[in-house]
Order: sequence, then structure tokens, then C-alpha cells
Amino acid sequence: MKAPKIHPIVSSAKATRASVLAFSILASVFQFCPLAAQEGPAGITRPTVLPPFDPNGRACGRPAGLERVLAFSQDNERKFMQGVAQGLALAARDRGLEYRVAQANNDPTKMVDQVRAFLNAKVGALVIAPVDPPSIGPVLKQVIWSGAYVGAVVPPPATTVLNAPQYLTGKVLGDEAAAYIRTRLNGRAKVVLLSHDSLQFLAPRFVAMRDALKEMPGVVIVADISPLTVDEAGGAAMMRTILLADPDIDVVLGADTVVLGALAALREAGKARPDQFLGGIDGEPAAVNEIKAGGPYKASVSLASPIFSYAMGQHAADWLEGKSIPQAMDILPKALKLDNIAGYEADLADPAAVYNDPTRRAQYLRMYGNICFDTRQNFINFPWSSERK
Amino acid sequence: MPISSRLVINLTIVLLTVGLLALVGIVATTVWLGEKAQIYAEDATSAQNTRIAAVELRVALQSAESSQRGYLVGGNEIYLAPYDSAKTHAVSQLERLKSSLSALPQTARLMERLSQVVAEKVEDMDRTIALKRELHDAEALAVFGGNRGKALMDEANVFLSSIIRTTDERLTSGLAQQRLNAAWLRWVSLIGGLVIIVVVSGVILTIYRYTREIAQTRDQVQLLNATLEQRVKDRTVDLAQARDKAEVLLAEVNHRVANSLAMVSSLVSLQSRTMKDKVAQEALKETQARIDAIASVHKRLYSSGDARFVDFDEYLSSLLNNVETAMRDEGHGASLRYDLDALKLKPDTSVNLGVIVTELVTNAFKYAYPDSSGEVRVRLKRLSASQAELVVEDDGIGRSAGAPPKGTGLGTRIVNAMARTIGADVEYVVRHPGCGARLAFACPADIE
Repeated sequence: MKAPKIHPIVSSAKATRASVLAFSILASVFQFCPLAAQEGPAGITRPTVLPPFDPNGRACGRPAGLERVLAFSQDNERKFMQGVAQGLALAARDRGLEYRVAQANNDPTKMVDQVRAFLNAKVGALVIAPVDPPSIGPVLKQVIWSGAYVGAVVPPPATTVLNAPQYLTGKVLGDEAAAYIRTRLNGRAKVVLLSHDSLQFLAPRFVAMRDALKEMPGVVIVADISPLTVDEAGGAAMMRTILLADPDIDVVLGADTVVLGALAALREAGKARPDQFLGGIDGEPAAVNEIKAGGPYKASVSLASPIFSYAMGQHAADWLEGKSIPQAMDILPKALKLDNIAGYEADLADPAAVYNDPTRRAQYLRMYGNICFDTRQNFINFPWSSERK
Repeated sequence: MPISSRLVINLTIVLLTVGLLALVGIVATTVWLGEKAQIYAEDATSAQNTRIAAVELRVALQSAESSQRGYLVGGNEIYLAPYDSAKTHAVSQLERLKSSLSALPQTARLMERLSQVVAEKVEDMDRTIALKRELHDAEALAVFGGNRGKALMDEANVFLSSIIRTTDERLTSGLAQQRLNAAWLRWVSLIGGLVIIVVVSGVILTIYRYTREIAQTRDQVQLLNATLEQRVKDRTVDLAQARDKAEVLLAEVNHRVANSLAMVSSLVSLQSRTMKDKVAQEALKETQARIDAIASVHKRLYSSGDARFVDFDEYLSSLLNNVETAMRDEGHGASLRYDLDALKLKPDTSVNLGVIVTELVTNAFKYAYPDSSGEVRVRLKRLSASQAELVVEDDGIGRSAGAPPKGTGLGTRIVNAMARTIGADVEYVVRHPGCGARLAFACPADIE
């Protein structure tokens, strides 16, 4: 059967079976001297569209000489990362792996050192949230070459790349806002988009929001602007400026932090109303509390970090058992609203139940490609996105 | 239902008042909407100026930014050709915008911030161009990559878009208001016109109906007048015939009564002739005289044209002649002289007075001159418009005071009774010589 040309990873896997064998031999040599920093395959570096993950993919050999340890190299202590740590710890417990965590406190050098330490300790699996992708990339490749599972929270290289589909994330929020405007504001609204110019990869979020609103003739985007600093203070300052031009705002969209700042500015100006729609991205606890309070803050699009990290922990265990796992995984955005927060929080508290139920799992995770110990030369080494056409 | 003139006047006043009010409404609405149109035109001009200034400012900033970026990327001075003019234009349009918004105090802070943003944007562009000219490309690109220029342009766009949108809303709402006003004017004019047409129609209809009814009434009156004369004539003829019949009937009745009384008088006369007793014979003669007096009234009534009244003077003269003749036939030697004013009296009064005069004259003939001849005088005189006097007197022996009446005394009682019947008193006057009786009685003025 001829492989589709649009999936180079499939054809390359078939064409380089011999090189896989050679790579396995090399890997077995390197496992005796993991610090030799031998150069290995570069992985898939050209943008490639991955097929859906096949749960019945061909089994591989088990990595030899690696410890059944699941390590987490954490960039900082933000809430999102706490959720990642929580899911990984639960997965490690459920699969009998030892769980270790090293926090870099946003220090790239420290992170490199910590990852090297894990490499030297022959950990079988590493999940990382890179502080500085360029500096940590070479070390991660060494970990991959050592035969270990590497799961990266977004930036490659990694055997499994976690991706947050930015356009879809923005679309979920944009669609919620559009539905609200249509049903509660009679199709008419003055909208503020607080974008994020300093992070280019987030641009699709705002494209999606504009796309969701552009077909509504009664919607006027009165401001489409990035705050000078992407935090509550920046959001508040920008909202004060916007209120000079348009005192009556109906909808504010952006990241949770800046939207929370915008809400503070609206309240300060006496312009906050219960019928407004303020919606953010990230599922920040303060935003969730605002939603629960039932005020202008109506939705926050959240990426369920305990759930995807629990899946990564499960994949790490599967990898060590020679099973085929996804090359990439989307964590699907979910709009938290007053009517679904309780269910969402229950899912976060028990990610194993979600992972073990294929239907519930599919609501959070979408998996692509197959990889295992024997085919680890096909690790992802480009900024993969399921939304790339 | 017929229309009265009062109803026509009231209805016409009401209708004309309504029509006048409708007219005043149309004129007032037109004036009011005209004022509003004038206000809108001024507001629209102001909004248009504001909008043009905002759009021009944005275009100038974008033009300057394009020049700057072209120069930064290409390094070719030709890209800067429009830069200075665009900057100058931006500054002038900013001033124009400030001027046109100066009347709106709520935009003061907005304009203050917009001025800062424009100034910073120009400064940012100037700085990167200067760095590029001094061959500090990396620094220029670093400033460019810092996104400060984009952020400033985005912020300026927030303000300028808001101003443009607000002015658009002003123009749109003003235009909508004008359309609404025009619709109002149309409706007011249409409804007012209809009201006036209805009012005029109502007035015309009312006047037409009223005129038609007047014409109909006039025709009816003319018709009634035309028949009325004939009816009056007919009625008059009927009444004349009825009157004639009544007069004939009354004359017939009087004739029959006179005949009957004459028959009674004859019977009494026959009776008296058969009587041996002188006194009885005398009494019957007196009775006959009284009956003749009454009968004479009825003869007068049926022989005259008017049965209501009797020409009393004529009647009395005839009566007195008969009495004189009768007295002379009985051998009494007195003579009778009378002086009578013309007088018309009712038949009843005439009968009573006739009987009274007969009694008094007869008495005078019998008893005034027992041994000699003398004169008996009767005078009938109108004293005033409602009063008349009848006097019977003689120059005879007179009547002694306290002396009993001569004869039976019946005559005196009849005289008094009849005088009372006509509401008069008999006054007996003693004269020297002779005596008299005076009777004053009412005689209505209209009987002349």
C-alpha cells in the first residue's frame, strides 16, 4: 500500500527501516555512555501534517538501561504548570513509575542543568515546559537519543509534542461571545479585542475571534489593540484609554489576565454591567471566580493541564513498555461558564477517569501520528500545529 | 331630522374651529420641523467636518508610516518623499479635529491623549528614520521591532475610529430623524388636509341641507298661503251661513216668542173682558200691558238685524206710544212726552226696563192726575260711557209721605224686583208738584 504523500513521516518510516535498526544499535551503544553527547538523527524538521493516532500501532522493543522514572522539568510555579505536575504525578502513581520534578524558576541555564542531570540519571521519561526552547533543544535531543520518552509542552524537540491549537482556542471564545451577542444583546455589541503582539504564535487566537465576529453586522470592534504589558495592569491601562474613546463597551475578549484588568478599569469607571460579556483565555483562577460570581465575566477558555499531563504520563509508561504512542497531541480548549465549571473541576480533580473513558478523553485530547522506541528518530523537531494547512 | 338655524350656526362654528386647528397644526408642525431641519443641517455640517478631519488625520499617519517603513526596509530615500507633507498634514488635521470637537467637553481627555499619541508616533517615526540615515540599521530595526510604533498607531486608531464612528452615528441618526420628521410632516399634512376637507364638506353639506330645507319650508309656506285664503273664504262663508242660520233661527224664536206673548196678551185681554170684578179686570189689563212690553222687545229683536242688542230708544218710544194709546182708551187724560237718547241694550235689560217703564208710566197715568189733565214725562239719558239714567215724572198730585201705595202694590214690587235684576235701584223723587222715579243702570260702552 502506497503511503499518502501528505504524510511524509509515514513514507520516511517505511523508507528508512534499515536506518532505524542502525539507530537502535547506536542507541544501545550510547546507553553505556549517555554523556558522550553523540549526535543522532535530527528528527522531523520539515513541517509535516500528521495522521490521526492509531492506538493499535505496531509495537516496538522496550528501551533498555533506563530507569522507570518520570521526570518533570518545570519552568515555573504558575497555576497551569501546577496542573501539569498534578497530572504527571497521578499517572506515575497509576503506572508504577517514580516521579521526580525539577523547577527552573524561569532560569534557562538552570533548566539545562536539571535536564542534563535527568539524562545522566537515565530517566526513562521526561516531560518539559521549556523556559528557553533554543537553549534546551540540544539537550532534549540527547535525551531522545538516549531512548527516553520526551514530552514537550509545546516547543519541540520531543517524541510527543503537546500543542494548544491557537485558532481553535480563539474560536471557542469567539463563538461563545458571538452566541451571547446574538441571544442576549440582540446582535448588537461594541467589542474590544485585547490582543497579544509580543507572542506571535498567539496571533491565530485573535484571527479566530475576528472571524467569529466578522459575520455579525451589528458588531463593532471599537478597539483591536495589544496592551503594553500582558497582565492585569496592562489590561486595565488599555481599557482606561479605550473608555476615553468609547465609554460603553459590551464585550471584551483577550487573555484572562488582561481581561481581568479591563474588568477592574470598567468597574473603576462605573461602566461594568451584568449584561456585558467579558471572556478570557487560560482558565485563570481569578477569572473562574468572577464567572462563579455571576457578573460581567462570562467565560474563560481553559486548557486542562492535569488531563493532558496525565495522558503524557500514561504515554511515557507505554513508551517504556515498547508500545506505540502519539507523536503529537492537541489539548482541546474548553469554555468554562457558570453552567459547566463544576463538571470541569471534577474532571481536573480526577484526570484518570477522563483518560480511561474514550468519549470523555476525546472532549479534551486529540492525538496525531505514531512513534515508539524503535522509531524515535521520527521525533518532532519543528513547531508542529494541527492547524497548519 | 330637520336642521335648526341654531344647530347650523353651532355646527358650522365647531367645524370651522376644527378646520382652523388643523390648519394651525399643519403650519406649526411645518415650522417646528423646519427648525429641526435647520438644527440637523448645522449638526450634520459639524459632524462632517469632524469626520473629514479624523479620516484625513488617519490617512496622513498611515501615509507617513508607509513612508517610514518603506525607507527602513528599502533604505531608499524616495520612500520619504511623502513623509514630511504627511506629517504636516497630520498636524494640521489634528488641529482641525481639536477645533471641531472643542464644543464637546466630554472629548477633551480623548483629544489630549490623541495629541500625545500622534506626537509620540511622529517622534518614533522620526527617530527610526534618523537612525537609518545615520546607518544605525540595527538600532532602527530594534526600535521598529519593539512594536511601539504599531501600538501607538493602534491606539490612535482606537480614538480615530471612535470619532469617525460617533460622527457616522450622529449623521445616521440625524438622517433617520429627518426621515422621521419628513414622515411626520407628510402624515400631519395628509391628516390635516383630510380634516380640512371633511370640515369644508361638513360645512357645505350643512349649508346645503339647511338651504334645501329652507327652500322646502318656503315652498310649503307658499303652498299653505295659497290654500289658506281659499280656506278662510270658505270658512267665512260657512261662518256667515251659520250666523245667518242662527240669526234666522233666533229671529224665528223671537217671532214665535213674540207671537206666543201676543197670544197670551190676547188671552189675558179676553179674560179681562169676561171679568165682572173691576179690580180683577184691572189686574189683568196690567198684566196684559206687562206682557205686551215683553213681547214688544221680542218683536224688536226679530225685526232688527242684530239679535244681540235692542235699539232701546226706538223700542221704548214704541212702547210708550202703545201705553199712552191704551191709557187714553181707558179714559185717562194725561199726556205723554218723552226724550230718549239713542241707546243699545241687551234684550234682558231691555225687557226689564220696558216692564219698569210700563209700570211707572201706567201708574202716572192712573194716579197723578185724578181730576185734571197733566203731563207724564219719560227721559232716557246716557250719563257716561257706562252709565245711563231713566226718569219717569209727572206734575200730578204727588205721593204723601207714609201713605199706602195705590192699587195692589204689585207694580211697585215688580219695579223693584226687576230693577234689582239689572243691578239698579229705583229712586223715588218727590216734586212739587208731582213726583218721579229715577233709575240709574249700567250700559256697556260697546253697545253703542
